[in-house]
Amino acid sequence: MAESKFHASDFELAPDHVLRRWRLPALAIGCLALAASLVGANTSPTQFYQAWLVAFLYWLGLALGSTAILVLQHITGGRWGATIRRPLEAAAATVPLMALFFLPIVIGLPILYEWARPDVVAHDHILQQKLFYLNKPFFLARAAVYFVIWSVISRQLVSWSTEQDVNGECMKRARRVEFFSRAGMMLYVLTITFAAIDWGMSLTPHWYSHIYGLVFGIGQVLTAMTLMIMVTAMTADRRPMSLVATPERFHDLGKLLFAFVMVWGYFNLSQFLIVWSANLPDEVPWYLDRTTGGWQVLMIVLLIVHFFVPFGLLLSRSFKRNPRTLVRVAALLLLARYLDLYWWITPAFYPGHFTIHPLHAATLIGIGGVWTWAFLTNLARRPLLAFNDPMIALELEKA
Amino acid sequence: MDSAPVQSRQRPYKPPVLGRGQTFDTVTDQISSVVDRTQQPRAWWIGFGIGFVLLNLLLVCVSCLFAWGTGIWGVNNPVGWAFAIINFVWWIGIGHAGTLISAILLLLRQDWRTSINRFAEAMTLFAVACAGIFPIIHTGRPWVAYWLLPYPGTMMVWPNFRSPLVWDVFAVSTYATVSALFWFVGLIPDLATLRDRAENPIAARIYGTFALGWRGSVRHWHRYETAYLLLAGLSTPLVISVHSIVSFDFAVGVIPGWHATIFPPYFVAGAIYAGFAMVLTIAIPLRRMYDIKDYITGQHLDYMARVMLATGLMVCYGYLTEAFFALYSANLFEQYMIQNRMFGPYTSIYWLLILCNGISIQALWFERVRRSPVFLFIICMFVNVGMWLERFVIVVTSLHRDFMPSSWFMYYPTIWDIGTFVGTLGLFITLLFLFIRFLPMISMFEMRTLVPAAEVKEEH
Amino acid sequence: MKPVLPLHGVMAEFDNPTEFVAAIHAVKSAGYEGFDAYSPMPIEEAAEAMGLHGNKLPLMVLCGGIAGFCCGYALAYWTGVINYPLNIGGRPLHSWPAYIPVLFECTVLFAALTAVFGMLGLNGLPKHYHPVFNVERFALASRSRFFVCIEATDPKFDLEDTKRFLQSLTTVEVSEVQP
Repeated sequence: MAESKFHASDFELAPDHVLRRWRLPALAIGCLALAASLVGANTSPTQFYQAWLVAFLYWLGLALGSTAILVLQHITGGRWGATIRRPLEAAAATVPLMALFFLPIVIGLPILYEWARPDVVAHDHILQQKLFYLNKPFFLARAAVYFVIWSVISRQLVSWSTEQDVNGECMKRARRVEFFSRAGMMLYVLTITFAAIDWGMSLTPHWYSHIYGLVFGIGQVLTAMTLMIMVTAMTADRRPMSLVATPERFHDLGKLLFAFVMVWGYFNLSQFLIVWSANLPDEVPWYLDRTTGGWQVLMIVLLIVHFFVPFGLLLSRSFKRNPRTLVRVAALLLLARYLDLYWWITPAFYPGHFTIHPLHAATLIGIGGVWTWAFLTNLARRPLLAFNDPMIALELEKA
Repeated sequence: MDSAPVQSRQRPYKPPVLGRGQTFDTVTDQISSVVDRTQQPRAWWIGFGIGFVLLNLLLVCVSCLFAWGTGIWGVNNPVGWAFAIINFVWWIGIGHAGTLISAILLLLRQDWRTSINRFAEAMTLFAVACAGIFPIIHTGRPWVAYWLLPYPGTMMVWPNFRSPLVWDVFAVSTYATVSALFWFVGLIPDLATLRDRAENPIAARIYGTFALGWRGSVRHWHRYETAYLLLAGLSTPLVISVHSIVSFDFAVGVIPGWHATIFPPYFVAGAIYAGFAMVLTIAIPLRRMYDIKDYITGQHLDYMARVMLATGLMVCYGYLTEAFFALYSANLFEQYMIQNRMFGPYTSIYWLLILCNGISIQALWFERVRRSPVFLFIICMFVNVGMWLERFVIVVTSLHRDFMPSSWFMYYPTIWDIGTFVGTLGLFITLLFLFIRFLPMISMFEMRTLVPAAEVKEEH
Repeated sequence: MKPVLPLHGVMAEFDNPTEFVAAIHAVKSAGYEGFDAYSPMPIEEAAEAMGLHGNKLPLMVLCGGIAGFCCGYALAYWTGVINYPLNIGGRPLHSWPAYIPVLFECTVLFAALTAVFGMLGLNGLPKHYHPVFNVERFALASRSRFFVCIEATDPKFDLEDTKRFLQSLTTVEVSEVQP
């Protein structure tokens, strides 16, 4: 093939790009907010750990959801995946950082989880029966396994991708990547199922729902997708992204976002309808806790901003093809994702009594600032386009 | 990063989905020759003959059922539902692959669907027809089956809209209607082709009537394409909703083993899994019988096998969550249910199901197996059986030992149960062979768009 | 004696889509409006050449879906709350969560019916007789050939001129279309 008209340096994020400039401010804001939350932790530790859990799960969603989409696009192929591969990898590479942010949860275990308090377990025969699974050492061991698996998946895919920049594509490797990704997908689904049970579902340890892990997983994937759309839209007006980020690509990303919103609604409806219809005393309190005492307002807001508005807007073809409109619905969903997690997690501590604490904002911004810094640093470190990907190469030939 | 020149690249490899050297005429002639020819191959007569014999068995079984009542089946309290609902779910599930192929793959712009969507859609219709028989004959008084519809019965009571069985009526009838419409809309241009080719004036007249005077105007195609895409967009959530509602039949109840929130996606995955197995079960002999390997290539087998592997693993995820949550629930009934499934009186059926659905498909990880028609056919047979067993396990083992040990019961199918089930296989086979004989089993107009000559070259 | 009807138009045949699309462009730029083009499969470029953009169908389908939703809700509500209120398992009379599946099915059903019958209606089908079928070679329009027909109702139509014009576009055949 003829010598290309491009050089590897053409694919870097522009040196003066706003995403580059945001790195340090993000870190500074994050550190300030973290300091503030640590101060808050001294005065009201319970609120701190509760807020930390929600914030941790939210930002973990971006890292893990990106890993899941990364794996998915290696399995299915398609140009949309090649276009957002580098942002996906940048987000996936933050998994080890999230392991660090998990530490406060380890410390606050007895405060967060009833089953970790021996005095409660002593009087609860159901929790005694669940001790084989819900106990501290096993919980921590599982968490370690999850983080190891997630880190291995993301690290391996990122390093293969970096190699590709230097060596170019070869079919043999592509096959290996695909095989690895299939295994990665299976492992992701399994680990996120159990992680969701451990970190979210066991907050109400008597209650259980078979679909909980899947709802959690699709939430993460949806969160990551909104971020990818935002990053693509923010970089689309300049090189190198402008070479590939056509309306066609935004249409693809918009369709995926639409599909994920639908799946989120579908999984939630599955759980709700089955629990509502059966009306069993050991299941239905989970919904009663979340639909009384002010929580119902949040639920209605969620239904609107997390489902009906995105659903209605994303039906339109022209809406999906225009990055400026698409990015707005993505931003709305990114916000809605936090509300959703808040609605899932916090009522476990305050059943039927809506509560909010400043520490929620502090922890959200704290973890978020540091996470954004790590993400943007990863993004700026390597070319913004995986230019040796055959799909990208095909687009570049036309450019 | 240094500024080394970008390495040479390969074009993304796109495997061919149509054999070489095809033109508009060869596509049309080869596909419609199956319909045009007066003498069908012997395999057609054998297949049709088997189907027709079994169809008569169905008629006998149903007649006896009407004469003597549902007492001739093996059902009794607490197993009030057995073969009828198992077969219903099995058949509906099989139908779903047809809709999936025609709708979802169209939306995903997977052009390999083109050579299989027509007969997969036909399969959907016939499977839904087979499925629809069961709830109706199970009512005991099938002549008043219309009471299922929103119609005030003898005491002016309406159907209960809180009941999943009423949802089922809406779901299945909508599904049957929309599938039939989708299939028919796809057929219109091909019926026009058959009309224009037919030498027999009666055939020309019949095909012409159903072709609705289609003349291939560009304006018509434009709206046609929009309508087709819209139908695909509507069918995609529809097919998911239908099997979800079928799963609600169980999950909304409070029986351990039924009441699981994972049921809707788990049933949908199982339906697609079973459906793709059935599509392959039909496609593999068919491509041999009519020598249409140019249209249904090894690539098609590979793709379908991949879908089977993916959905099969999802089904296994369902088994895993059921087992885990029984353990985690600390609920005596849940725990007993799973123990009874694995080691109770129907233990062999459970492990056979795991063998068929969980273990046999692991071979599909290997490309050589996915592309080998013989191996693939054997695995598909395992899956067809496995998915039937899955419904048996869900229905019978959950019901036969309910909350009260005094009402425990062993269910065994009678000869009438088996006869009716085998009879619907006959109905399915008969309809399928008639379809192959009288309608083009591959969409000709869509195949034409894949022919190399269909590309509009840009003017310079 | 048979009454003599005016010609329907003049029709040119093409054997490949490239010439076909080029011909549509040419006919359009020559100022003809009353013409139609026929192909054995959908060709996006041909629709573009004829200046066909969006159509009313998606909007109709949306309306159909909304109508289906409303009808479904009305049915469930009227039968369960107004006409024969019945307490079943202590569930509220207006059990909206339980209506969701039925509402969804009704929405899809009405939308799908609108899509199919709307498409047929806008296309004016079924219409079993059409003058273009009088051209013997038009039977190939459903198989392998492409046709452009300029209709006699077009103000620019002139039998000889139009025929010559079409002959300049095609390498195959130009024929008159009897009414």
